[in-house]
Amino acid sequence: MTAYLIATLTLVAITAITGLALNLQWGMGGLVNFGLFGFYMLGAYICGLLTVQGVPPLASLVGAMCSVALLSALVSLITVRLSEDYLAIVTLGFAECLRLFISYEEWLTRGTLGIAGIERPFQGLVPAQLADTALLAFTLIAVALVYGALQALAFSPFGRLVRATREDPAVVEALGKSVLTVRFKVFAVGGAILGLAGSLHAFYYTYIDPTQFSPIITAYAFMAVVIGGRGSNRGVLISTFTLILVLEGSRFLVDWVPHLGSSELAAIRLILVGAGLVLLLIIKPDGFGKEPRSAEAEIRSFTST
Amino acid sequence: MLQLLLNGAVTGLLLSLPALALSLSFSVLRFANYAIGSYLTCGAYLVYLFNVLFGWPLWIAASVGALGLATLVVAIDYLAYRPLRKRSGVTLLVASMGVAIALENLVRLFAGNSPRSFDVAVARPLRFGGLRLNYEQLTILITVLTALVLVWIIFRLTRLGRAMRAVADNPDLAAVRGISRGQVVASVWIISGVLTAIAGVLVGLDANIEPQMGWNYLLPVFTAAILGGIASPMAAVAGALTIGIAEELATLVMPPHYRMIVAFLIMATLLLVRPWGLFGTRWVTR
Repeated sequence: MTAYLIATLTLVAITAITGLALNLQWGMGGLVNFGLFGFYMLGAYICGLLTVQGVPPLASLVGAMCSVALLSALVSLITVRLSEDYLAIVTLGFAECLRLFISYEEWLTRGTLGIAGIERPFQGLVPAQLADTALLAFTLIAVALVYGALQALAFSPFGRLVRATREDPAVVEALGKSVLTVRFKVFAVGGAILGLAGSLHAFYYTYIDPTQFSPIITAYAFMAVVIGGRGSNRGVLISTFTLILVLEGSRFLVDWVPHLGSSELAAIRLILVGAGLVLLLIIKPDGFGKEPRSAEAEIRSFTST
Repeated sequence: MLQLLLNGAVTGLLLSLPALALSLSFSVLRFANYAIGSYLTCGAYLVYLFNVLFGWPLWIAASVGALGLATLVVAIDYLAYRPLRKRSGVTLLVASMGVAIALENLVRLFAGNSPRSFDVAVARPLRFGGLRLNYEQLTILITVLTALVLVWIIFRLTRLGRAMRAVADNPDLAAVRGISRGQVVASVWIISGVLTAIAGVLVGLDANIEPQMGWNYLLPVFTAAILGGIASPMAAVAGALTIGIAEELATLVMPPHYRMIVAFLIMATLLLVRPWGLFGTRWVTR
């Protein structure tokens, strides 16, 4: 029971990190990243491959964060000449191609066999029976650090600039700021955070293969942001640690409800996620959290509608 | 070589129906519907239901299934997209992703994950000189060309087609001239639904029916629509043919499982060089 709780909490904490990353990109910046799971997968694979090669886990983690940040920023440049709408399909395309590449380039990624034996950080320092608890603590510290950093960013002048770009890119351009630079930086920072989340995934499972990564990861992150309130980091944390915890915890039901296999349950869970996403966008578009400095936003929405 | 071109053209025709449906709904509603892949899956499964479980001949099952999907698509528009129409296109994008996930898993819940196929007789490929043409490919060729001609007639020669073009061009002006936007939107969804269901049947004939089938077509379909300049429906057909042939020719230098990467590379290059599409006009805003 305790082991189950620790496992679920670790997964939920990793989801919280992806939710925070998406909250920066879509919540604050209005940039739709449907390929979120691809960047996450990339982080997991870079981190996993590096540790298997004998690189210390913490160094692999940093390596994964930096390379995903760079790649994610480069992908955002493909739409250099276009409005944000195209980012959605470009990021999704990138993620799907990455998944194909990882599944077939066996010389590098061992394909569908996956990478086993990924070393966790501080593995030598904690006794084996406490390994999962230690990783949970490590993940929660990561959540706290990401939250702190994004909160600082949200209240900084750059945070204002990001929100302004979401509301009206033309005004931002007119004030002499480059919308493109904002997009590039937001994708770089978001990519680094997704690289971190992916690395934690690799550490948690200590084994990765391409089937673990699917658009469902993206869906969970969107769900967390929509419920938490676009732009509210605190809201995203609260929503992941309540709703996503319940959704993840529902795996339990398999043992309790007869005639319900785990694949049916997974399908029902995802139907609820999809339908819930649409429903929330319709009835509660601002979510339950509040974006910092939303007083101005309220005045703006009041005057514009 | 000629065989590759022929295969490519057939693949392209297969892509052209959903690409046409996608850009048709984009031109009128100005949002990219990510649920188009799962519409295709649903269409294939509906037809499978009538064809295999009820035992109807495929063409009757396909007609009924297409109408069924059209109804479903209109209902989804009414429930999910209509309340959001006043919001930004980005919100609609996210909503359509929600619809896609819900539909795909609805299929998984009722039909399971294992691949299925339609109840049709297996036939020998036809041969013309050195060229080989499958029975399935022939079906695709005839069905798609007929569907395209019908859509072209609706689009160019009927009152409804004129209304659709008017709303796509300038919704306010169309409204002033007394064109009912609601009716046009509904007919656009009906046409999209029928086209996507037909595409689902053809994909199911060509390969298997499985819950992921539509998702795998999403990227090539979007690329085809963007190639045509996303808001010009008939150009999407040309875009689809280009993608189909390019994917097939790329198998000369790349393993066949990387077709999706070909589509992605084409899209990335296009967005960098000619974002308004190969055939579209330059209306795209930054």
